[in-house]
Amino acid sequence: MLRILLIFFVFILPPFAAAQTKPSVQIGLSNETVGITSSFDGTEIVVFGSIENGEKERLKNGKYDLVISLEGPTDFTTVRRKEHKFGIWVNGLSEQFSDVPSSYTMAATRPVDQISDAENLKILEVGLDNLNLVPVGKKLTAEQTKVFRDSLVRLKISKGLYLVDIGGIEFLTPTLFKATLTVPANVPIGRHLAHAYLFDGGKFIASQFTTLEVRKKGFEQQAYDLAHNHGLIYGILAVLIAMFTGWFASFIFKKD
Amino acid sequence: MNLYLPIAEMSVNVLVLFSMGAGVGFLSGMFGVGGGFLMTPLLIFYNIPPAVAVATEANQIVASSFSGALVHLRKGTLDIKLGVVLLIGGIAGSAIGVVLFSSLREAGQLDLIISILYVVFLGTIGSLMLIESLNALRKSRNPDAAPAALPTQQTWIAKLPFKVRFHKSQLYLSVIPVLVLGMLVGILASIMGVGGGFIMVPAMIYILRVPTNVVIGTSLFQIMFVTMFTTIAQSATNQTVDIVLALILMVGGVIGAQFGARAGQKLRGEQLRALLGLIVLAVCIGLGWDLVTVPSELFSLGEGGGH
Repeated sequence: MLRILLIFFVFILPPFAAAQTKPSVQIGLSNETVGITSSFDGTEIVVFGSIENGEKERLKNGKYDLVISLEGPTDFTTVRRKEHKFGIWVNGLSEQFSDVPSSYTMAATRPVDQISDAENLKILEVGLDNLNLVPVGKKLTAEQTKVFRDSLVRLKISKGLYLVDIGGIEFLTPTLFKATLTVPANVPIGRHLAHAYLFDGGKFIASQFTTLEVRKKGFEQQAYDLAHNHGLIYGILAVLIAMFTGWFASFIFKKD
Repeated sequence: MNLYLPIAEMSVNVLVLFSMGAGVGFLSGMFGVGGGFLMTPLLIFYNIPPAVAVATEANQIVASSFSGALVHLRKGTLDIKLGVVLLIGGIAGSAIGVVLFSSLREAGQLDLIISILYVVFLGTIGSLMLIESLNALRKSRNPDAAPAALPTQQTWIAKLPFKVRFHKSQLYLSVIPVLVLGMLVGILASIMGVGGGFIMVPAMIYILRVPTNVVIGTSLFQIMFVTMFTTIAQSATNQTVDIVLALILMVGGVIGAQFGARAGQKLRGEQLRALLGLIVLAVCIGLGWDLVTVPSELFSLGEGGGH
C-alpha cells in the first residue's frame, strides 16, 4: 500500500498538473481468477495492454520500455543456513524477512538495469534485485544479510516461484502488447497483483495494476476449509476413511 | 496423471505415489511390518513437506493396522488388556510428540531431528536384525549346534512395582515398563510418522517377554489407536494431514501388502529378517549420508510465521 502511495505522489501526481495527455499504460488479464481444482498443474495468464497517448515516432521505433510483473501475496519468510556442527550439517544462522512476495513473475522489454536507473527501480520494486525484502532479525551484518537475501531469491527461483522473462513482451501493433506469464503448479493462494510499468528513455512515466485471485475450487476448497477451520472433525473423518479402507481391504482379501 | 493435493498444496503424480504405496505395502506385507519407516522418507524425497509427510503417514497406518488387527482379533492372537495398557502410554506419548513436533518446526530443526531419529533407530534395529538372522541362518545349516537358551526375565523389570496379570500373554508384570514402552512408541509415531512396530515388536519379545504369537496382534492394536489419536491431534493442531495423499497411499498400500504377504510365504523367516535388516540399514545409510556430506544447497526457506 505504502509503495502504491509513494508511486502516486512521486511520479504520477506532479506531472499530472503539467500536462493532460501524458503517455499512460492500460492492462487487462485473460482471466481474473485462477481456480485450483484437483487437476490443476499450473497455467498461464496473458496480460494484454496498450500504451496510450504515446508519441507516434517513438512508438513506431519501440522507444518505450515496459515491465509487467505478477506478484503473489506477501508474507514473512525465514532463510536458514546449514552449518557443520559435531560432524553433521544442522540449521544454524537464520534471518527472517518480511514483505516477501510468495511468487513473482516478471516480463520486460529489456533487462531492467538497461531500462531505468537503480534508484527508480528500487522505488518501484521492479526486478528481483529490487524487491523490498525487509530483514526483521537485525542481528546479521549487511554482508550476511545480502547472502541470505540472495539465497532466498535463488531458492524461490529453483521452486519456480520467481521467474524473469526478458523479452517476454510481444508488441502486436506499435501500441498494443501482450505478455504470457507462467503460473506455476505451486502458486500461492490469495490475491496477486499484476503491474505494468511504462518507461521512456530511462524515465518512469506511468503504471497501472489489476488483481488476480488465485483460489481453490470445489473439493480442494472444501477439504482445505475443513482442515483449517474444523481440524478436529477433519481428523476424525480422516480416521474413519482409513478404518473403512482397512476394513474393506481385509474383507476383500480374506483368505477363508 | 497429476492431482493437486489440498493440504500439501502441490501437484503430484498419482501413479508415482500409488506405486510408492504399493511398493512399501509389498514390503510390509512380506515382512509383517508397518512400512511407515520407509514411506515417510520416500515422501520427503518426493518433496512432500516433512510435516505433511509425517502426519499423513500416521493416517495411512490407521488403515493398514486396522486391517491387520481385525485379522488377529478373529484369530484370537491379540492381548487386549496388554494392548490397552500400552495404549494409555501411547496416547500420552503421542500428545507429547505432537507438541514437540510443533516447537521443533518453529525452531527450524524438525527435519534434522527426524533424520537423526531415523538414522539412530534404523541403524540399531537394522544391525540387530541382520546379526540375529545371520546367526540363525548359520545355525540352521549346522543342526548339531544347541539352540540358544531363551534369556531369563530381566531382574530389574521383575523388581518393579504395580504388577498386573495379563492372562492372554501368561505374564505377571509391572505396568511401568509397558506404559514407558507405549509412550516412547507414541512419541515416535507423531515425530517420525511411523507406527513403531519395528521397535515395539522386539521390545515386547526381548524386554517384556510377551509370547510371540500375541506380539504382532497386540502391537497392531496399540499402533492402530495411537495413529488414530496422532491423526486427529495433528489435524487439530498442525493441519498437516492430507486426506487425498493418505487415500492414494492407503489404496496402493493394501493392494501391495496382499502380494507381499504371498511372496513372504515363499521365504524362510531368517531370510526374511536378514533381507529386512538390509533394507532398514540401506535407508539408514542413505539418510545418514545426507547428514554428514556437504549439502548441495546450504540454505532453506521456512514460510509464514512472523513475530
